[in-house]
Amino acid sequence: MDKATEAQGSDAVYWDPYRPDIGENPYPTFRRLREEAPLYYNQAYDFYALSRFADIETHLGDIETFSSARSDILEFIKEDIDIPKGMFIWEDPPLHTVYRNVVARVFTPKRMNDLENQIREYCARCLDPLVGAERIDFIADLGAKLPGGVIGMLLGIPDEERDVVRERVEAALRTETGKPMDVSQATYQGEGYEDYLDWRAKNPSDDLMTTLLGVEFKDETGTTRKLTREEVLIFVNVIAGAGNETTSRLIGWTGKILGDHPEQRRQIAADPGLIPAAIEEILRFEPPGPAVARYVTKDVEIRGQTVPAGSAILFLLASANRDEERFPDGDSFNVHREGPPHITFGRGIHSCLGSALARVEGRVALDEILKRFPDWTVDTQGAKLSSSSSTRGWDTMPAYTR
Amino acid sequence: MVDITYIESGGEKHVVDVDAGRSVMRGAVENDVRGIIGECGGSCLCATCHVYVDPAWLERVGGKSEAEELLLEEVCDLQSNSRLSCQIKVTEELEGLLVRLPEKQV
Ligand code: HEM
Ligand code: FES
Repeated sequence: MDKATEAQGSDAVYWDPYRPDIGENPYPTFRRLREEAPLYYNQAYDFYALSRFADIETHLGDIETFSSARSDILEFIKEDIDIPKGMFIWEDPPLHTVYRNVVARVFTPKRMNDLENQIREYCARCLDPLVGAERIDFIADLGAKLPGGVIGMLLGIPDEERDVVRERVEAALRTETGKPMDVSQATYQGEGYEDYLDWRAKNPSDDLMTTLLGVEFKDETGTTRKLTREEVLIFVNVIAGAGNETTSRLIGWTGKILGDHPEQRRQIAADPGLIPAAIEEILRFEPPGPAVARYVTKDVEIRGQTVPAGSAILFLLASANRDEERFPDGDSFNVHREGPPHITFGRGIHSCLGSALARVEGRVALDEILKRFPDWTVDTQGAKLSSSSSTRGWDTMPAYTR
Repeated sequence: MVDITYIESGGEKHVVDVDAGRSVMRGAVENDVRGIIGECGGSCLCATCHVYVDPAWLERVGGKSEAEELLLEEVCDLQSNSRLSCQIKVTEELEGLLVRLPEKQV
C-alpha cells in the first residue's frame, strides 16, 4: 500500500476543508500532515494536498502541471465550471500573461502606496466615532468597510456613490452563510459596476477605471487594441473579489492575534516601527486564504508517488507557514521573528497582485487602531469564525477596549 | 555551473553553483539564500528579488527592461546598482558574480 492511501486508515491523519471541528484549529492536523502524509490524498472528496513549505514552493510555480484554468477553488475545479474570458486569476498563459501585464501596468505598488493618506483618512472616519466606546468590532467597524472603500478609491468611485455600488455588488454576490460557494459567484461578471463604468467613460479622471478604459495592449492574437467593456467589468470583478474578503479577514486576525498577545501588542503600540513586521507575522500566523487549489494537467511524481492527470490538488499555504523546517518554533507568534518570509500571497505568476495594497491597508489600519485603542480584550463568546476551502477568518471580532 | 556569491544584509555569505540559463533569483531561492523571496516566480511583477550588484559587475549583467525600471521604483532602499535578480540571466561570463542583498524586500 502506498503512503497516500495508507493515510486513509482509521487512526491515520484525516483532513478536509469542510469539517468545522478541524477548521477551528487546523494547525495540529497540518503538523501531522507534514509529518505523516506530506502528499496527502483525501478519498471522501477526492483531492490531494501538499503541506510542506519546500514542496509548495517547488510545485506551485509549475504552471504547466498545475493549472489555474479551472479556477483555484476546490469546489469549482470539481464542477468544471465555465470561466469567463478575462478572469485572469483563473487563466493560464498565454491569456493570463496578456491580461496580468495589462493590470500590472496600472496596478503598481507605487499607485498603492500613494493611497496611504486616503486610507488613513478612511480609517479615521470609521474609528473616530468609536473613541470612548467600551466595545468595538474589528470586522463590523473596520474590516467590513475598509477593503471595499479602498477598492472604491482605486476605481475612482465618488464617495457618495460608493455605498450604492457596494450594495449592488453585494446583492449580486450574496450567498447564504455556511453554504459552500456556489457557481453563481464564479460566473459573476461585474454586475453592479456597469452604470459607474459608463459614467466614468464620459467623465475620465486619473483613477484605475479610467486607465483600464484607455489602456492599449497586445492581445493573444497579436492585435493591439483596448479592453472591451466586458473585459473591464471582469477585471474589476477579479480585483474586488480577490481584495475584499481577504483583507477584511486580515483586519479580523489582527484584532484576534494581538488581543491574544497583549505583551507584544504593547510593544507595538510603544514602537510603531514594529508595525510592518507585526503585519508580516500576522499574515504568516493566520493567512486569510489558507489554501489555493489547482487542476493537475499531466501525471506528476511527487514524493515518490504519481498524482494522476485530472486530479485536484490543494496547496496548504497555512501549513507551509508553520513548517518548522522553515520557521523555527512556527506555532508561536513572534513579531521579532527574523528570517524567511511567509507564503501567504502565493508563488509564481498568480502571486497576489494586491499584496502591496493589502500591506498598506493592514499597516495603516493597525496604526490607526493602536492610536485610539492601545488595549483590548477579545469577547471570545461573541466572536464568530467561518472557514471554507479558500478563506478562513472572523465574521465578527468584538473586543472590550479596556 | 556558474559560481555566484550572495551576501545577506547581516553579512552571511553564500557561494552557490547555478546552472547557466537560470536566473540569479532562482539560484538564491533554490539554495536557501533567504534574503530573496521571488514571490512572482520571476515574472517581473513583485519586486521581491531586489539585489545590489557589485559595481564591478554592473555592466556585465546587462541592461534593464522598461518593466524592470518601473518595478524597481517600488523597492525599499533603491540604489544606483539595484536590480531585480529574476531579470539577470546566469551565463558563463558571470562566473564569480557578487550580489548583496537588501535589509528587506517588502
Ligand atoms: C491580506 C490580503 C490578501 C491575501 C492573503 C491575498 C492572497 C492571494 C493569494 C494567495 C493569491 C494567489 C491565488 C492563486 O495562486 O490561485 C492572490 C491572487 C490575487 N490577489 Fe490577492 N490577497 C490579498 C489581498 C488582495 C488585494 C487587496 C487585491 C486587490 C485589490 C488582491 C488581488 C489579487 C489578484 C487580482 C490576484 C490574482 C493574480 C493573478 O492570478 O495573476 N489581493 N491573492
Ligand atoms: S521574482 Fe518577482 S520581480 Fe523578480
